[in-house]
Amino acid sequence: MQLFHKKKKTSVGDTIFVVCNTLFMICFVLITLYPILNTLAISFNDGTDALRGGIYLWPRKFTLKNYITVLQKDNLVTGAYISVARTVIGTLLSLACNAVLAFIVSRKRFMFKKQLSLFWVITMYVNGGMIPTFLLYKNLGLTNSFWVYVIPGMFSAFNMLVIRTYMNGIPESLEESAQLDGAGYTTVFLKIISPLCKPVYATVALFVAVGQWNSWFDAMLYNRMSSNLTTLQYELMKLLSSVTNQGNSVEAMKNAAGAVTPTSVRAAATVLTMLPIVCLYPFLQRYFVTGLTIGGVKE
Amino acid sequence: MKRKKFVSLLLLAAMTTALAGTQSVKADDEIKEFTAFFAVPGAEINDDNEIQQMIAEITGAKCKETWLTGQTAQEAVGTLIAGGEYPDFIEGNEGTTQLYDAGALVALDDYIDNYPNIKEFLTEEEWDKLRQDDGHIYWIPQFSNIYGEEKATTHNDEAFWIQTRVLEWADYPEIHTMDQYFDLIEKYNEANPEMEDGTANIPYTILCDDWRYFCLENASQFLDGYPNDGCVMVDPETLEVIDYNTTPTAKAYFGKLNEEFKKGIVDPESFTQTYDEYIAKLSTGRVLGMIDQWWDFAYTVNDALKQQGLDKQGCNYVPLPITIEEGMKNQWHNSGGVLNVSSGLAITTSCEDVEGALQFVNDLLSQEVLDLRYWGVEGVDYEVDENGEYYRTEEMRMTAADTAYKASHICNYSYFPQYSGTSRDGINAMQPQFQPKEFYDSLCDDVKKCFAAYGAETYVDMLGTSEAPGPWYPMWSYSGTMTTNTPGGMARLKIDEIKHEYLPKVVMADDFDSAWEEYMGVYDSCDPQSFLDEIQAEVNRRVEEAAKYQ
Amino acid sequence: MAAIAKRKKEKITEPKVKITWKEVKSQKTLLIWSAFIVLYGIIFCYLPLGGWLMGFQNYRPKDGLLHSQFVGLAKFRQLFSDATFLRVIRNTLAMGVINLAATFFMAILFAILLNDIKSKGGKKVVQTISYLPHFLSWIIVTGILHDALSGTGIVNELLLKFGVLDQPLNFFAHPKYFWPIVAFANVWKETGWNAIIYLSAITSIDPSLYEAASIDGAGRWAKIKYITLPGIRPTIMILLLMNVGNVLNAGFEIQYLLGNGLVQSVSQTIDIYVLKWGISQNDFAIGTAAGIFKSFVSIVLIVIANEIAKRYGEERLF
Repeated sequence: MQLFHKKKKTSVGDTIFVVCNTLFMICFVLITLYPILNTLAISFNDGTDALRGGIYLWPRKFTLKNYITVLQKDNLVTGAYISVARTVIGTLLSLACNAVLAFIVSRKRFMFKKQLSLFWVITMYVNGGMIPTFLLYKNLGLTNSFWVYVIPGMFSAFNMLVIRTYMNGIPESLEESAQLDGAGYTTVFLKIISPLCKPVYATVALFVAVGQWNSWFDAMLYNRMSSNLTTLQYELMKLLSSVTNQGNSVEAMKNAAGAVTPTSVRAAATVLTMLPIVCLYPFLQRYFVTGLTIGGVKE
Repeated sequence: MKRKKFVSLLLLAAMTTALAGTQSVKADDEIKEFTAFFAVPGAEINDDNEIQQMIAEITGAKCKETWLTGQTAQEAVGTLIAGGEYPDFIEGNEGTTQLYDAGALVALDDYIDNYPNIKEFLTEEEWDKLRQDDGHIYWIPQFSNIYGEEKATTHNDEAFWIQTRVLEWADYPEIHTMDQYFDLIEKYNEANPEMEDGTANIPYTILCDDWRYFCLENASQFLDGYPNDGCVMVDPETLEVIDYNTTPTAKAYFGKLNEEFKKGIVDPESFTQTYDEYIAKLSTGRVLGMIDQWWDFAYTVNDALKQQGLDKQGCNYVPLPITIEEGMKNQWHNSGGVLNVSSGLAITTSCEDVEGALQFVNDLLSQEVLDLRYWGVEGVDYEVDENGEYYRTEEMRMTAADTAYKASHICNYSYFPQYSGTSRDGINAMQPQFQPKEFYDSLCDDVKKCFAAYGAETYVDMLGTSEAPGPWYPMWSYSGTMTTNTPGGMARLKIDEIKHEYLPKVVMADDFDSAWEEYMGVYDSCDPQSFLDEIQAEVNRRVEEAAKYQ
Repeated sequence: MAAIAKRKKEKITEPKVKITWKEVKSQKTLLIWSAFIVLYGIIFCYLPLGGWLMGFQNYRPKDGLLHSQFVGLAKFRQLFSDATFLRVIRNTLAMGVINLAATFFMAILFAILLNDIKSKGGKKVVQTISYLPHFLSWIIVTGILHDALSGTGIVNELLLKFGVLDQPLNFFAHPKYFWPIVAFANVWKETGWNAIIYLSAITSIDPSLYEAASIDGAGRWAKIKYITLPGIRPTIMILLLMNVGNVLNAGFEIQYLLGNGLVQSVSQTIDIYVLKWGISQNDFAIGTAAGIFKSFVSIVLIVIANEIAKRYGEERLF
């Protein structure tokens, strides 16, 4: 019956819409797929040959050497361990912290709701600069330590706001009925709100995890001298920056010139670091591709 | 449920690693371990590097080197100073003055006499040039130091380069002026607009990407027969500073480029291409000629050309001794080393064993260790013939260029003091690329043929060589340290900024003369005189200092 | 339809809470948590702001923050009397606004259109591909752009083929193309990634609304207009407000990698200026002063934007 109903309703406008939408998606996929395929092709191409340019979707001179070069980098295993550790711990910590914070500021009755939000919103736009931050971490004993990777990023206004917006959309009636049953804020947070927030938690977890996985600057700045705390991305950055040559000293160039890492090694490094984090995605994706019915919510 | 267990396991594992990670590993008691930070980009070597281990066995010490990553030298040094903790060795590059100001460096002059290899590294005059305003010496410049006789093979610097096929086609003519150079390129391109595979030639391209625009910018000093002071020309007679941006030669040079641009000889993408694109163009063998520094293109491009067999088509580059007029002496190549007094290897106040550190530097300058650093291991990286001469097989050369092999096996200690020139054995060169036979063997046939036609054996012979210029040389070691704190430094930065914009405009202009006039107008508004005055003062100072030794 | 109408009209109302002892007691848990969070925020986010002193000093690393010479507003005066700095502010603002508009619009459009795809597999595949470019570094993306827009690149080839041009156009030589190219690059790299947030917001929309709308005979456009868009409206508003504060952070890397001498008058941003005229000259104070200026502008902007949102009863930052 319903099927019949739907069919009848398919208008000309709808058909045009579907066709246009499909076309748009195809174009979009092609245009976003290209850089990835191009990077892949270059990563499998001989480095010296790739210098000539003109590689598009398929390697011209196939080789695995770029991957071997990257994988032979010293300290890669240590780096991978630390990277996984910081991604797992950092994501869980940050998710928990931001969820709590968002919960607090989304309570309609909370007396400092506005002030607390403002307090965090401001942090998005102010920044003491590299040197003062470095001094602070050093005095807190965070330099040359694993914790510098997770502690400074526990709270973030951006993630808090994303979660808060979602929480604001949850009908108050749910919370009220629970509170009538004698539940405290902790229970409401854990038992009522959090289960409904899975999609937004998944989103924020993805953001934090990707950020953690990709960051290398903190490893360089705070743990430069502790090679046992290095991260995967930092190791790869070191490999690649011998090419980038931001310095403009002639001797530096002469020195680095012999050690030039071709674009293809960069491509291989990119593919290798992309893989693990991209694999994480399908696990989270189900939370926001399948429309999640907020169980039992009826206004 | 199962997943939860998995997650908590993962978490547990992560926590243990994290905690374990904070425990520091005790180094070998036998071997001293130093740390070094070089504020330049560089390739890190592996912890278990083979030659590093061998050197450690000889010297009783090793050094863990870290390089600049994703920061500028000033930022990196600034953070180190703020934190107050340094590695044992440091090369501050553009942050060197900051380190000195902050009192982070150990004065070396009291120690130097105790270490013969270090003492010998520079002459008394050179050591004195390194004294800062408090009278002490804090750093040792590592490069361009010639031991014994100079072994000049490659012209590692700037020149007008041309492909050997162009010279061969014209039966190896004598090319001395810019007009002859472009004339030859035009004629060749007219007769052979395409390569063998049908790709169109690019007659002349210019690299203009960010700081690498020196290829466009500073040619007029060479065209006037001056050496590479990098920011000005210094008249050797009157010791007067001359601005090479405004000379008639500069106008003639850019006028010529403008003319060639209109003719379609100059690559229309010259001013928008990135360094990568430029290298890609050269690597296809399409570019007939360009001006550049050898180190800026040759290491990568030569390999690429060889791999495709393009050397057989004569796509390799040789330099030409070009000046603005016929019959001038050119100074594209100068003999002798260049002492860069503005930075070098220093020992920091955080170093607990200054004497051990200096001993390490001293040992690194012993011939045995120098051979290990630059030649490698006998029988593995090089062979010795019956006359005691070192040589490498083609395979050894290939392996030596491999990134992974470099990291696991080769240990140059490349920012520690080093020599070029002749080895202490009197036979070999300090570094493989300066070994004449080794150098000649690694040349491609088209280059050998071209050299033979001009009666040359090396790239340097193609240009001829000049004596080292006067005691002020090179002025770039001073201009590089200027900052916006002085009017001259401010002017320098402004000039740099407007040249990036106006030089391309001038070359591409429909009406060259009016474009040049506009450029000169803007140029004058940057107050170039204050820059020249400061440079002049430094020239005078350096000359006076040098006079004390004559 | 009633539900839709209700959703549309619904405005966020502020329950006035009087601070009484009873209220404090009932919010004890929240207050304790907040105290810890504020303490953390003060240490990690506000304490380093002591570094702003640097903007009023002739900072030298050896003297540190406490002993460097104070120069008052000299650094700010230096910045604002420099025509180059005023020009880079203009560039940064222009690129910030263009990028914001372009990326924002594309991400929402993409999320909505993607949500409308019926095939679940197709949806997943498209989404996974769309967000991959986010993981490429700017150096790779700009490299590809340079290739595509070069004289012999695909874009020129197509334009020549269709007779739009009669000779290859060097896109990077003309200042007028620079901002659009930067905006395009941002859209290309970040659309799929930015859409994730909207996709997750769409999931909070009650599916029964769509069913009800179908029964009432609403077409796809109507559903987007009356259900999807209002459903993600709070998310859109919050992100818009946040990004308004970020218009002065138009970037560094992309402009640095795509720029050249011919377009430098439109390509340089505040961050590039700071690197060149500040840090490279050992002058850290210039960077700090520019940072303070940026923070000041950002906060003014978000306060204004927040007020506007408040007036219209939209979701807001604080």
